[in-house]
Amino acid sequence: MINTEKQSGATSTITSPADREIHIERVFDAPRDRVWRAFTERDQIAQWWGRGNKLVVERMEVERGGHWRFVEHSADGVHGFEGRYREVTPPETLVYTFEWDGMPGHVAVDTTIFEDLGDGRTKVVSTSIFHTTEERDGMLYSGMEQGLNQSYAALDELLAKQE
Amino acid sequence: MVQYPRRLDTTFAALSDPTRRGILTRLGRGDASISDLAAKFGMTLTGMKKHVKILEAAGLVTSEKVGRVRSARLGRRRLEDESAWIATYQRMQHDRFNRLEEFLERTRGET
Repeated sequence: MINTEKQSGATSTITSPADREIHIERVFDAPRDRVWRAFTERDQIAQWWGRGNKLVVERMEVERGGHWRFVEHSADGVHGFEGRYREVTPPETLVYTFEWDGMPGHVAVDTTIFEDLGDGRTKVVSTSIFHTTEERDGMLYSGMEQGLNQSYAALDELLAKQE
Repeated sequence: MVQYPRRLDTTFAALSDPTRRGILTRLGRGDASISDLAAKFGMTLTGMKKHVKILEAAGLVTSEKVGRVRSARLGRRRLEDESAWIATYQRMQHDRFNRLEEFLERTRGET
């Protein structure tokens, strides 16, 4: 745990178990169903996700494989964020990929767990994992190599048939 | 429209060669001198320097001469960019949760 901050009565804990992982826990004074809807309904997320900036929800298909794209209009410009939902299990788990237009190719995976505390409050546990440049490049070139080998294998097969 | 950096072309060109992919895999385990790399891949020092130069142009590798030895490592600049982005993202998530809290308080009883 590297940092604990208290503000407006709520405690938000930020931990960094690894450089590549961001872990945030926060207790909200609202039932789980309401918190879930704040994350998954278009008109609701538009009211807080932009951190006070105007937010345009261009796409929001809350289902496995569904695409989302939010555009934030702030004083320093227009910023687009997008990704795909990987898991949607109401009202417990939401997993999606996350990419910022300004850093194309740097994809993070966000997992948000909604925990009912049983007293009308909800604990939100958010974990974001960033893949390293090396891992990504590794995937890139191992993928290329595999792709090439597959192409060669297909070519071999084709040539063998023609003989 | 998303603008992809021109560097991507150089990156693909750099990665098109199996020796250069091998060099990156090797550097992923730790820094190495150009002469070590040359020995490992069974080539001349001049040949290895050429490969490293191509990887450097793509930003995948940086090299530094200390004394008489030139050593290579995975591109540091890209790593720095990424660390800055992770730090920014952490701050954004924190700000978002503050806003979410305000939103939930404001709309209490409405939804």
